[in-house]
Amino acid sequence: MSVLAEAKAPLLVEARRGFAPWAGLTVLLTLGVLLAASADRWQGGWAETAAQLHDAVLITVPAAAAAGCWQGGRERRRRTEELWGTVVRPPLSRLLVSALPVALWVAAGYAVAAGLALLATWPYAQGPLGDGPRLARMAADAFVSGAAVAAGHVVGRLVPSRLAAPLLATAGYAGLGVTATAHEGAGQSLNPAFQVLATWVPVWWQPAATAVWAGGLAGAAVLAYAARRRWTALLPLTAATAAGVLLVQTGDGLWHTDPLADRQVCDTSVTPAVCVNARFADALPQVGAALSGVTGKLAGVRNLPVRWEDRDGKAGRDEASLPSLTPLGWSFVRGRLTDPAGFAWQAVGALGLSGDCPDDPDGGLDDRIAVADDAVENYLAPDPAQQYFDSLDAGSDARRRAALTARRAARARLLAMDEEERRTWLSAYFAARADCRPKEVPAL
Amino acid sequence: MTTAGQVLYARSRALPATLVALAGTAAFAVWAAARLDSYLDPDRRVPVVALAPLLAAAVIGVSLSSPSDELDRTAVRPWWPRRLAQLAGLTALAAVLLPVAVLGHPETFGPPAMIRNTLGCTGVTAAAAALLGARLSWLPAFGYVSAVYLGSAGAHGSAVTVWAWPVQPGAQPGAWAAALGAFAVGGALFVVRGARAEGPRG
Repeated sequence: MSVLAEAKAPLLVEARRGFAPWAGLTVLLTLGVLLAASADRWQGGWAETAAQLHDAVLITVPAAAAAGCWQGGRERRRRTEELWGTVVRPPLSRLLVSALPVALWVAAGYAVAAGLALLATWPYAQGPLGDGPRLARMAADAFVSGAAVAAGHVVGRLVPSRLAAPLLATAGYAGLGVTATAHEGAGQSLNPAFQVLATWVPVWWQPAATAVWAGGLAGAAVLAYAARRRWTALLPLTAATAAGVLLVQTGDGLWHTDPLADRQVCDTSVTPAVCVNARFADALPQVGAALSGVTGKLAGVRNLPVRWEDRDGKAGRDEASLPSLTPLGWSFVRGRLTDPAGFAWQAVGALGLSGDCPDDPDGGLDDRIAVADDAVENYLAPDPAQQYFDSLDAGSDARRRAALTARRAARARLLAMDEEERRTWLSAYFAARADCRPKEVPAL
Repeated sequence: MTTAGQVLYARSRALPATLVALAGTAAFAVWAAARLDSYLDPDRRVPVVALAPLLAAAVIGVSLSSPSDELDRTAVRPWWPRRLAQLAGLTALAAVLLPVAVLGHPETFGPPAMIRNTLGCTGVTAAAAALLGARLSWLPAFGYVSAVYLGSAGAHGSAVTVWAWPVQPGAQPGAWAAALGAFAVGGALFVVRGARAEGPRG
């Protein structure tokens, strides 16, 4: 009879009673608190959800190791070690019967939390059909948490201290935390809790290699401690070493930017065209609606950027940066823009009103440009906090009151122009602003 | 209680080993904080300010167990003054030792934040000792603090200063209220009820 078949019946008893279900529940509750507290930052983005669940490995692995350690010290606490020494069941099956249920429950706790997070993201996901949950990474993370239980179990058997479990958890947090935030070195490739950006995706074999790396180490520890033929520990150790070497050698090549994050989805029926990141393609109508007031007023105006784009890095010459929807949780929460008016104001700012032109040494031109910028901004999409700042200036010294009066007069003059005159003025204004020709900014 | 009785009480609660473990925790905190390079950015101290009190609370929590619970309950003398002295003494010691690791920057992550977290974590652990038993008393605080540590980054709103008290700057009144509340409730629970009896099956 094989070791596993022999262990089957007690395994079921251990899995249903004792510490194992509580360990799984603890992992589920801990992840529940973590995910609930941070829901604004991941709910609605598949990549953000996957990244948050992966970051959680930083706490599930130490917690799993501590749970395994606690279970490993059980026979010592019960003072039944000698009794177990008299039974015919081999040490390895005794260890597996005790450790496996905790490992399975911990992995199940992680898997249930991950499943609930995916369900919570599903109604709000904004990506195209190709986007979806990153199941391979989650499976690997659940497996790694289970492997930590087995390794912790061996520590619990070896270290006769009540403090072994909390010490192991602390050491786990510190060890994983230090290497997780390292910017280089082998530690970041080998660390199962290495923190990655939401838009990074691993090469296809990375989750499997990480699982073999962590599982191999845990398996080697278990076999070295409890197997009758201890040399068998070399097999998982060899597998772990091979996976580790593969991970370290690949290094930075393990992760690459999600191609989806580089693509744009555009509405070209307006000017400038409105493009959002393809990861949030479903948000395009909403973003278009938030900017509809601006694009409506800019109809017929020349010299504008061709489009707003939502991508990392500096916008091209004929492009303006759309206020980024990410990181989630600020301007974009659960698939909704939290402040469309503020979003439109920022988008107007990106049209070139605050370009990188050098300052005028005299300062005279700067004042004129500032007044023109303010008038354009006020016409297209006013700052939601404009009244507040105006009231501050109104109660301030004479110089700021005079500046406020000038700004208000300029706003009124731009509003008072007829449609054609205003289009001509705005075309001249955007041409001067785009080319950093401050002297050619038309007066108001 | 006689001096001999006090010594016996201290030994039965493994207090010498606990003191050594607390000193070790403080040394770990000093070592870890020195490696964080936090002179310019005190926020980098957050891991130490969150983790060191957690470990100290685990050490204190494990020492709250009684090896002879049934026998204790037959005693004529009240136990609460001894429990109170043990909990308060160990917490005070931790609250004195740990802040040495993070001197300066009291408004952000300096000694006040470390003291607050020591009180809060010890309170949660003492409550867990009364409800779950001393051996496993470290578990709820570990779960909560680690979840909050990862989960509260970037969270906004006024309630965050209360529920995410372990990672708040030292000057946040909401975080102090939460930590002091946890210490008062957890401490009172332990002092009145003692650690939950644990059989050999634990």
